[in-house]
Amino acid sequence: MTDAANTDRWIRRLNLVQLVLAGVIIMAPTVWMVLSSFKPSFEVTAYPPTLVFSPTLDNYVELTKTTPFLSYALNSLIVTVGSTALGLLFGIPAAFAVSWTRISWPAILTLAARMAPGTLFLLPWYVMFRQIGMIGSFTALILSHAVITLPIVIWVLLPSFDGIPRSVFEAAQVDGCSVTRILWRIALPLVASGVAVSAILAFVFSWNYFLFALVLSNGDTKTLIAAAFNFIGEGSTQWGALMAAATLIALPPLVLAALVQRWLVSGLTLGAVKG
Amino acid sequence: MASISIRSLVKRYGNFTVIPDLNLEIADHEFVVFVGPSGCGKSTLLRIIAGLEPISSGDLYIGDKRVNGVQAAQRDIAMVFQDYALYPHMKVYDNMSFALELRGVPNAEIDARVKRAAALLHIEPYLDRKPKELSGGQRQRVAMGRAIVRNPKAFLFDEPLSNLDAKLRGQVRAEIKALSQELKTTMVFVTHDQIEAMTMADRIVVLQSGTIQQYDTPEIVYERPANQFVAGFIGSPAMNFFPVEWRAEGAILSQGGTAVPLDGETANRLRRAGSAVLGIRPEHFAVVDAADGIAVNVRLVEPLGSDTLIHFDLAGGSAIARVDPALRPKVGDRITVRPQQGKTHLFDAANGQVLR
Repeated sequence: MTDAANTDRWIRRLNLVQLVLAGVIIMAPTVWMVLSSFKPSFEVTAYPPTLVFSPTLDNYVELTKTTPFLSYALNSLIVTVGSTALGLLFGIPAAFAVSWTRISWPAILTLAARMAPGTLFLLPWYVMFRQIGMIGSFTALILSHAVITLPIVIWVLLPSFDGIPRSVFEAAQVDGCSVTRILWRIALPLVASGVAVSAILAFVFSWNYFLFALVLSNGDTKTLIAAAFNFIGEGSTQWGALMAAATLIALPPLVLAALVQRWLVSGLTLGAVKG
Repeated sequence: MASISIRSLVKRYGNFTVIPDLNLEIADHEFVVFVGPSGCGKSTLLRIIAGLEPISSGDLYIGDKRVNGVQAAQRDIAMVFQDYALYPHMKVYDNMSFALELRGVPNAEIDARVKRAAALLHIEPYLDRKPKELSGGQRQRVAMGRAIVRNPKAFLFDEPLSNLDAKLRGQVRAEIKALSQELKTTMVFVTHDQIEAMTMADRIVVLQSGTIQQYDTPEIVYERPANQFVAGFIGSPAMNFFPVEWRAEGAILSQGGTAVPLDGETANRLRRAGSAVLGIRPEHFAVVDAADGIAVNVRLVEPLGSDTLIHFDLAGGSAIARVDPALRPKVGDRITVRPQQGKTHLFDAANGQVLR
């Protein structure tokens, strides 16, 4: 065997080891969470952890008995869909405007906003919404979650819009299109998969976001992830129910990502190479 | 259909001036070609006419209307882009009907116009296809079809043939020329290919550094170039240039001191100027008997089939003669060449302007 072939073989083996390690690191907590949700309550925190056990749905039954789980799920859905729609409504024209004008500072500003810790926004949001009597309202939650969804939409769509040859927009201008019509009739259909990807990512990030809902919601508008926090108490924590809740909360984003994974990758790289 | 009038036009990008001061009149129904090297401002000028670039100062009229501040969408101009710029998500039919739909043209008329243009361009079988399902030549035709259906005041073409292979380029070139004669609409065509300029234009605008070097018919631009730049740019292979001076014994190449046989009129002009740059096109060299011209050594022979290019050393530089294909000298042969009478050009050595 030649040296080159030998090196190649070793590189492939190392790649495999890296992939397995990455898989274990990423998946182990998830697998542990799912398994724990089917364990009897006393076994969840047993040490050493039990791998063989009699699976039970007790934790799920407990969850639905002690909490209005479906109501929280509906709240999560309202906030997530609302903030995703808001993110798309403002993010699509914003990304197009940045691409069209080639003035990038607004996009950098939104990215900075996304990278800033949520607590930075929390206090102003809280004071503002309290003053206008909106604490605990869906409107407050949807508006606050737009801080998460809007930058995602802008940053996923910006390379997609940039990837459309400029001459296509210019041809539309010469054909008689206004800028608004160019966005609606020309640009948007060409970045449809990018829009879908940004919507899915915005949905997932908003669905999983904990902090704003914890402070800005009330009993009627509490989202799933904030409600799950109730299972953690100072004296005792209901680990079994918490794991069941966490498993159910993780389900929609995981199912969504699994369904569109191929599309997700192609959508994220859309615009990187001109067709 | 309309004339285009450009008056004292200036175009700047920041501190960089692309077009310093340009005046141009394009008559109604005229086919004008902007030609020049890369960066000469020809595409910028076209984009200014289209309304895709703002004017820094000066005036632009389309017909009788000053259109300086008028948006591209309102100028009623059609443009064919270098990369065709078809709408990838629309079928060919929709690409062609889009502009008419925007203008609220009734559906029956849209259908009639699209089908008429498709028939003219032989793209009827492709009306239901998307652009990605078409070849380069077919896309090019669709781009022209999209322009034709609108019956615009003027057509603008931005190097539309540069992405086609040589054979197709020749074919589409002829089709555009035929189309211009049939449609009788003002057409402005940008190219860096002087063959396209020569074959298609009613008049050629030769541009350099945003300045018009010559604006005239192809025949005049070729036969009577206004300056050394135009003379060197129009014609392939390019015109040969030699510094030349008048001495007691006649016209002498400044380098090497070789005597050049010139016709009486050219010799008179050189005598008056004292020194100049002599321009001779490759096709205006004749290979003659030894006693009657300039003896040169053959350095390279390129048989092209229709004719033969002979490269030779002269006056410290390299020169090319285009001769009869039957003539096949070998590298190293000594031949005698002579400029054809009345076909030589003299340019001012200082500013490059033609000496008349």
